Amino acid sequence: MLVDMYSKKVFNMAYQFSGSYQEAEDLTQDIFFKLYHQLAKYDFEKNFTAWLLTLVKNYLIDMYRRTKWEKRQRDDFDKHLHAVSGTDNPESDLQEGENKKILWQGLNQLSSDIRMAIVLKEIQGKKYEEVAEILGLPVGTVKSRINRGRLQLAKILHDKRGKIHGL
Amino acid sequence: MVCEKIQDLLSPYLDGELTPEAKAEVDAHLSSCRECAELLSLLRMATDSLTAFPDVEPSPDLTAKLYAVPARKKKFRFSLDFLVKPSLQPVLTAATVLLVIFSFYMFGPYKKDIDKSVNLQIHRGYSQIERLYAKAGSVTDSLSATAENFLVSLKNINPLGNNEE
Repeated sequence: MLVDMYSKKVFNMAYQFSGSYQEAEDLTQDIFFKLYHQLAKYDFEKNFTAWLLTLVKNYLIDMYRRTKWEKRQRDDFDKHLHAVSGTDNPESDLQEGENKKILWQGLNQLSSDIRMAIVLKEIQGKKYEEVAEILGLPVGTVKSRINRGRLQLAKILHDKRGKIHGL
Repeated sequence: MVCEKIQDLLSPYLDGELTPEAKAEVDAHLSSCRECAELLSLLRMATDSLTAFPDVEPSPDLTAKLYAVPARKKKFRFSLDFLVKPSLQPVLTAATVLLVIFSFYMFGPYKKDIDKSVNLQIHRGYSQIERLYAKAGSVTDSLSATAENFLVSLKNINPLGNNEE
C-alpha cells in the first residue's frame, strides 16, 4: 500500500533533486528501506505525507553531502521528461522547451538546501507552509531560500539564453 | 540601491504577497527600469517552466523491488555506516593519533634509542624496588632484634627488688 501511494512521489522528488534516473531508483529503494525501519517512530497525530517527505529530504541531503552530486552530470532533460508542452504556438513551445532544459541543468548549480526548497515549492507545487513543515524551518527562511533560488535560476536563464541566441 | 531593494521584492511580487503600497512601488519602478523589468520576466519564465516539469513514471522494475523491500528488511545487512557516525569520531581520532605515534616509533630512526632508554628506565625502576626491598628486610631484622631485647629486658626486671643471690 505504501508503495502504491508514495513510490511515484518519492521517486520524482529523488529524480528532480539528483537529476539522474538511475540514481533516483537506487535512492528510492534506500528510502523505502529506511521508511520501513522508521515506521515505528511515526507519530500518528502528525501528517504522514509531510513526515515521509521530511525523511526523504533528510536522506537526499545526507547522501548529497556524502557523495557530492554537484560534480556529476544531470540526465539530459529529454531522456525522461518531455520538453514540448504542446500548445498552438510552436515558437513559444520551442522557447519553453529550451527554458526547461536550461533550468533542469541549472538546478545542479544551486546549493542542496536551496535546490530542495525549489524542488518542493516550484516543481512539486507545494505551499510555503508545507515546504516549511517538510524542511523544519520557519516560513520566512523558506521564502528567503526560494527567493535566492529563483534569482540564481533567472540569472542562469539569462546567461544561457544569451549564449543560445548569440547575444 | 533602489534596484537591489526592488529585486528582493520581485519574488513576493510574483506570489502576489505584497501589500498594495509595496506593489505600487514595484510597479512604478518597473515602468522606468528596464533591467528590473527584464529580471521579473526571467523570474516569471523560470517559475512557469519549473511548474510545468512533468512527473516521471518509475520503472516497473523499481516498483517490483520496492514491494520486496519489507522482505529484504528482515535479512541481516552488514554495513560499515556506523564508522561515519559522529559519536565515534573522537574514538577514531584518538585511535589515529595512537597509530601515528606507534608508527613513528616502529619505523622512525630513533627506535633503538627509545628502546635503550625504556630498558634503562625499567632497570632503574627494578633496582630501586630491590633496594627498597632490602631496606625493608633490614628494618624488619632490626625490629625483631629490638623486640627480642625488649623481651629479655622484661624477663630480667625484678619488680620487688629481691636479690636471689
